[in-house]
Amino acid sequence: MRRGGRWFLLLGWLALLAVLAVVVVQRLRVSTDLRSFMPAPSTADQRLLMEQVGEGPGSRLLLLAIGGAPDDALATLSQGLVQSLRHDTRYTQVLNGSFDMAALDDTLLPYRYLLSPTLDQQRLDAPFLRDQLEQRLEDLSSPAASLLKGLLPRDPTLEVLQLAQRWTPATSPELREGVWFSAQGEALLVVQTRAAGFDPGAQADAVAGIQRAFDALPARAGATLAFSGPGYFSVVANAQTRGQAEWIGRVSTVGFILLLLLAYRSVASLLLSALPIASAALAGMLALIVLYPQVHGITLAFGFTLLGVAQEYPIRVLSHRRAGEDAVQSVRDLWPLLLTAIMSACIAYLAFYASGVNGLRQLAVFTVVGLLVAGFSTRYLLPYLLPTHVRDVAHMPWLVTARRWVDALPRPRWLPLFVALATVVMLVAAQPPFWQNDLSALTPLPRDLLQRDARLRAALGAPDVRYLLVLQAPSQQDVLRLSEALETSATALQARHVVDAIELPSRYLPSDAVQRARQQALPDRAALERALADAEQGLPFQPGLFAPFVNDVEQARGLPLLEPARVEGSPLGQRLAAMLQQRDGRWLGLGTVSGVHDVAALQQWAQAQGDAVRVLDLKAAAESLVVDYRARILQALWVATVLLVLTITLSLRSLRRAWHVLAPMTLATFLVLAVERIAGVEISLFHLVALILAAGLGLHYALFFERDTGDLNEQRRTLHATLVCVLSALLVFGMLAWSSIPVLRAIGLTVSLGVAFHFCLSILMAPHARQD
Amino acid sequence: MLLCSLTLSPYANASAPEDAATARELVSALGRPAPARTPFAEARFMKMLDQPLVVSGQLSWLGGDRLERQLLQPHRELSTIADGEVTQQREGREPRRFSLKRAPQLQALLDSFVALLGGDPARLEQAFTIQRSGTDATHWTLTLIPRDPKLVRTVSRIEIDGRGNEPRCLRMQEADGDLAVDLLGELAARMPAAPTREGLVALCQGG
Repeated sequence: MRRGGRWFLLLGWLALLAVLAVVVVQRLRVSTDLRSFMPAPSTADQRLLMEQVGEGPGSRLLLLAIGGAPDDALATLSQGLVQSLRHDTRYTQVLNGSFDMAALDDTLLPYRYLLSPTLDQQRLDAPFLRDQLEQRLEDLSSPAASLLKGLLPRDPTLEVLQLAQRWTPATSPELREGVWFSAQGEALLVVQTRAAGFDPGAQADAVAGIQRAFDALPARAGATLAFSGPGYFSVVANAQTRGQAEWIGRVSTVGFILLLLLAYRSVASLLLSALPIASAALAGMLALIVLYPQVHGITLAFGFTLLGVAQEYPIRVLSHRRAGEDAVQSVRDLWPLLLTAIMSACIAYLAFYASGVNGLRQLAVFTVVGLLVAGFSTRYLLPYLLPTHVRDVAHMPWLVTARRWVDALPRPRWLPLFVALATVVMLVAAQPPFWQNDLSALTPLPRDLLQRDARLRAALGAPDVRYLLVLQAPSQQDVLRLSEALETSATALQARHVVDAIELPSRYLPSDAVQRARQQALPDRAALERALADAEQGLPFQPGLFAPFVNDVEQARGLPLLEPARVEGSPLGQRLAAMLQQRDGRWLGLGTVSGVHDVAALQQWAQAQGDAVRVLDLKAAAESLVVDYRARILQALWVATVLLVLTITLSLRSLRRAWHVLAPMTLATFLVLAVERIAGVEISLFHLVALILAAGLGLHYALFFERDTGDLNEQRRTLHATLVCVLSALLVFGMLAWSSIPVLRAIGLTVSLGVAFHFCLSILMAPHARQD
Repeated sequence: MLLCSLTLSPYANASAPEDAATARELVSALGRPAPARTPFAEARFMKMLDQPLVVSGQLSWLGGDRLERQLLQPHRELSTIADGEVTQQREGREPRRFSLKRAPQLQALLDSFVALLGGDPARLEQAFTIQRSGTDATHWTLTLIPRDPKLVRTVSRIEIDGRGNEPRCLRMQEADGDLAVDLLGELAARMPAAPTREGLVALCQGG
């Protein structure tokens, strides 16, 4: 190609990439919600889990502790924080222990007579009112006078306080200076976020919002704010993983560049060989943008990892160039093999599409599009840009020696059998369990964070995130009635210390029947005024003082019964929305359970209540979901294997040759599994993904080693290319293997081991060097 | 005293200098060691009541910020203010607890009481501007006006009447017009059966 044409092509390609980059940056919507990376739930528990993971009342709670200052300063900060967060739409509830009238706003105040249990035992008659008024008189001569003075005319029976008491958590922390304090002297707060707990992006925003509000408070010298809760953990785990991955990524990128410079001694080649990968990544993202409204963050992270295979394509081209030969000609010779490699990698990754999980489907789309673009641009664009004069690696002295040494290696026929046997023995001998089903084990949190969470959770009586009480009934009213029926035995359960507290929906919203009964127990205006007059006899209250009370009662008599829709948007409404949900024409009541001491007794109690009540173990449901997930991936893998065998056999047109390619790859894959198992590693989804990547790389090694050219120089070039590929993969993934985060370690270790095993086995089982 | 006025100078300019100095002198003289106990009788005049509420019992300063108010008449009740929290115990009922933060009037009362009994003019001047009237030993009145603009919206002023180094009367005027008069020490026994605002003020300032 003429010099001018080459520049034109390069600029054209770069311009295209720039346009793609702009489109991707503008249009790509990354979702961080872990749920879209989960398989579709198949059982009722799993379905509930998917909704509860993140949406449940427990998992949306952030626990806050303010420390590092004297009590009164902390209390002021606590109040200040509540003030600034209360009107922020990101938070549905902000509690710090101070009495919260805002739960019932002014227009809803008359409802207190329908919500509070007072009227279940009492009537608003003269003797009851007399007793109440006498108590209020005592209150007025007590230090509490200034507190109650304002409430009195409207609420002489202090129904508002009754409700506030009923709605505060059963086990609440110590009150100091009017706000919750831990035994360690920190002011405690509970914030419920609107965002789902396992949406790290939205949670990060919620956490940052709280921190900003805290930082803006006056006079917070020395005081510090600490967070805990599932949402915060997802933020920490995310940041931790991203932080380490970025750090490792930077180091290994530098190493990778140095390695390529060392291998090819050409900056131009190095820069140009980056173009196919960049095109692959951008094209993959463009495909996702076109096909999906939102792209999952994990898709991108995994996708870039899996796209590592595509690095091989330009490397192969660079290594296989001959002195004086046109790059286009080199690629033409290489293309049939390269195409087989590309197609088989695509087939392996296509397996993810069959999994039926949205996130994995995106992964398949991204990697397959990426691989095809990388492959075809390596074939049809890159060679026209590469410098015409290059050094033929075949004559490097070290490579000649290395090839000779490799050829001299013993290649016993029994090797495959031996490796297979060793693999089986190791797999059998390894300590069970084989699979790691606990996803949280992969992003473990620092011990002190977990301890802090346990401490704060215990101090605040915050609901357990693992267990949930599920009430099921045909209608909302049935759920509430069921909930009311459970209240007595639930209280008994608390008395037996099976659990610290059970919070049922009827605590916040009584059923219509109960509300109606209370409403009907309210006296009419005339009767109430008479009773009040009787009660006030001889007491010094000003006549007419309680007119607001009489009005409220009168209004309460005529109110439509309270339903969740009426309180929508208010703190009470938010609580109800979390506790009462409609699904498939049925209604669910979700009760939170705090401080579970005896799971068996809790389960037993739930069973004794009949089919409509059960205790949902979210952890067990999550694990069953992971098992399902894995089953789908494994199924997909089987399909991919069959397709792979067919593709390789067809393209090589020989069963024997296909065997030489597939046998080392299969053996090495199982060997990695066996070695990890015998080393005590439990296999997770991430290991499986990493195994697939390693298998893709191994397939390339085997394909190229299998190529029997009889040309010594070409064999040297193959060794050179493979060595560069192996070293670069080891560099990138070997670094990850040292990470302290299990997810990264799982991927790094598996791919590193895989690359090493695939390389060794494909050399040792390669046919051409055999002396027969 | 010189040292005292130097350290207090930032607060002193709210009231006339010589007035502030005599007020400080008086407060210093009022101090006594904890625990200090005194009988009291209280009449509260409230808008929502057509006659005052009268109670009596014993007030105790236990040292520091701890105050105890024991009611004997007409019912028994024990209230303690300690560590920023108020605990109220009444026979046959669950104790009621609440934060001092939510009862600013109480905080003002505590501040004035503790500063008086501790003989600590610095503390008193931190929370209030102080005026003294009636310079002779037979009768004096200290008028305390809260410095906190939020507090002054509920508690307009506290007036303390006394004789010699003996406080005899504490009157808390709330911004909504309600008034609480506490007769202290020997005056406690002289609470009339049907007290009036004017009668009690006269009693505090005169008798």
